[in-house]
Amino acid sequence: MAKIVGIDLGTTNSLVAIVESGEPRVIPGPDGSKLVPSVIYFDESGPVVGNSAKKKMVEKPKNTIFSIKRFMGKGIEDVKDDLPLLPFEVSAQSEHIIHLKIFNRDYTPPELSAFILRELKRNAEAMLGEEIKNAVVTVPAYFNDAQRQATKDAGRIAGLDVLRIVNEPTAASLAYGLDKKKQGTIAVYDFGGGTFDISILKLSDGIFEVLATAGDTHLGGDDIDEQLIRFVLAGRDPAQANIPAIRKAVNEAKEQLSASDKTDIVVESLQYKRGITRPEFNALIEPIIERTLKPCRQALQDAGLRPDQIDEVVLVGGSTRIPLVRARVQELFGRVPHTELNPDEVVALGAAVQADILAGGKRDMLLLDVTPLSLGIETMGGVMSKIIPRNSTIPASATEMFTTFIDGQRNVKIHVLQGERELVKDCRSLAEFDLKDIPPMGAGMARIEVKFLIDADGILSVSAQEQRTGKYQSIEVRPTYGLTDEQVEHMILESFEYAEADIEARLLIEARNEAETVLNATAKGIADEQYGNLPDDERAEIAAANKNLREVMKTNNHQSIREAIERLSNATMHLAELIMNAAIGKALKDKRVKEIDNE
Amino acid sequence: MDYFEVFGLPRMLGIDLAALEKTFHQLSRKYHPDYFTTAPAAEKTQAVRMTALLNDAYRTLRHPVHRVEYLLSLYGFKSDSSKVPQSLLMEVFEINEQLEEVKAGRASVEEIDSLRAQIQQKRQRFDKELQQASLSWDDLVNSGATEARLKAHLAGLAEILAESSYIRNLEREFETGSQPRA
Repeated sequence: MAKIVGIDLGTTNSLVAIVESGEPRVIPGPDGSKLVPSVIYFDESGPVVGNSAKKKMVEKPKNTIFSIKRFMGKGIEDVKDDLPLLPFEVSAQSEHIIHLKIFNRDYTPPELSAFILRELKRNAEAMLGEEIKNAVVTVPAYFNDAQRQATKDAGRIAGLDVLRIVNEPTAASLAYGLDKKKQGTIAVYDFGGGTFDISILKLSDGIFEVLATAGDTHLGGDDIDEQLIRFVLAGRDPAQANIPAIRKAVNEAKEQLSASDKTDIVVESLQYKRGITRPEFNALIEPIIERTLKPCRQALQDAGLRPDQIDEVVLVGGSTRIPLVRARVQELFGRVPHTELNPDEVVALGAAVQADILAGGKRDMLLLDVTPLSLGIETMGGVMSKIIPRNSTIPASATEMFTTFIDGQRNVKIHVLQGERELVKDCRSLAEFDLKDIPPMGAGMARIEVKFLIDADGILSVSAQEQRTGKYQSIEVRPTYGLTDEQVEHMILESFEYAEADIEARLLIEARNEAETVLNATAKGIADEQYGNLPDDERAEIAAANKNLREVMKTNNHQSIREAIERLSNATMHLAELIMNAAIGKALKDKRVKEIDNE
Repeated sequence: MDYFEVFGLPRMLGIDLAALEKTFHQLSRKYHPDYFTTAPAAEKTQAVRMTALLNDAYRTLRHPVHRVEYLLSLYGFKSDSSKVPQSLLMEVFEINEQLEEVKAGRASVEEIDSLRAQIQQKRQRFDKELQQASLSWDDLVNSGATEARLKAHLAGLAEILAESSYIRNLEREFETGSQPRA
């Protein structure tokens, strides 16, 4: 199978890694640097990513985009506190998706992240000497559905098939677990440039089971920098000061204070120089560090563990180099945390390990991750009714019944949310789903079973079936803070890489390939003995959908091929279930006979 | 396939958690979507669904209360923890009044402590009742009791479940809302 790379798409730095002969390693860029700064500089000729872009931050602040990860899956309201200190021009249409204006063109965070991903892809291709199409990409464990989807969209725009979204702390634990292979509990404290996560895991025989996770997707080194910027400003108007220059200066001072007891903050352009000691620095950042401890206690409680029941503590992310952070973590868990692996690289290494598992390399390791936030639906009176609780192992699902309220009603609206609070207004709106084309019947007669499924990426999908007719309902999804499929396709078209004809051709090839796969699977299904157990009308629909797909496949219209695939997939869903159930029934019987210990 | 069937278990409430975890890990290794990346789309979808079912089943069965709730739902009993069960009305009347005082910040530290103890005591009592009723369900099933007897026992189980859920909600409300008098 083609190579799969692991990518850590970070707020401050990004990395790409791969497993070769059993060992994960980071792939450096052409400049020899393993860390690619997540900075994109635009000039008239196009974008530049990485170290050379980072050099432009002070000189060309308006065209130099950094920390774009903090904007993923966000609307303008979510980031309004940060904007005064950021040099970017935000376009007017940013209510639900932030658009940055650069040289009179609007860019969304997924498009900007795609520039970084393309850079990593090129670096990997240069080193490995082949085209890279598949990747595992990491995200903060506490990322919500929209932020995860935005990350996947970024991959698609960059021409990468994101085979799996993996949580950063979990990826780190994989990298650490490689040489240890122990039993026991681990806490991963991941404090990066923009986000904070804590995950509690249980290890047993190669299974990495996340028990609980908590965090804050807007808490990281950037917040420490901003605190220091405010300290330097000392009440002066940010609009009058050279913020990019101050940001650079405080960032350097912050890094020095991890090694020495005092340093100077020097902003040459402002003729500013001020000494700062580590105790002063600690006093300034103490409230920020304190904010990381509450999620830690929450995660412990959710995992049903006391701090002294944690066997190992692992530190991940550049911000864990700060001595005060280490001291606080050590205090909370009562043990010295692990720092053997480079905190900047460990996530990428873990992503590469997961990529290797997906490629079929390692079967002895398995990650069982959880969903960080409860999933719910809006019910009467603006109340959120939880259907999948937080910290449920994913994939996870829930089934709810819906009906109509008036005679002949054809549509039902479902509002899906994420969060822990009771009222809809205090939770994060995820999407609205419209169940459409419900067969007309009297009020309350329709029984529509809606299945909510969170996949292994932590991303939700919804399917619905009317119980009387057995028909799968069509669903229209309107993501609240995300791009629709059409918008993403449009962005692929607009991206620098592809001409329109290319993309059409690519979509057609992809659709035909998938059609082949579905047709083969159907043929296998029809040959199975379970096929005989299907009712006549279902068999007839499978035959009709099968024939339809074969015909449509000959056309050049990728959309109609997709529709025909969907029809056949729906028609064979029941059959696939029967076959799977029979297989499981058999597996369980075998197990009882043999009482297998370790497979 | 119901959750008990997923684990190849009879519909009984006494579950060996270590064995449950072991089966969970074995089945995860078999069906997890990580091992189907290169498989055809239909098999991939099926692996996701199967693993979701497995995870849902494990989450439900390993928890002694959710396990009872689920068993009851299989026999058509619906749970509603929002209403005060009739049998509890008198018993919790006073506790609810005190809880209002606590939530309004009018109670002293001692009063809060005493209320906490009362609620905890009740919760422990109902947990124990639920545990016992769960054990006797297994005994009934094992002894091959008639369907009528089983149904009657489930109705009793549903009542105890409603009571213990109500007390647990009360406890949660108490823990999130108690602020001592300034």
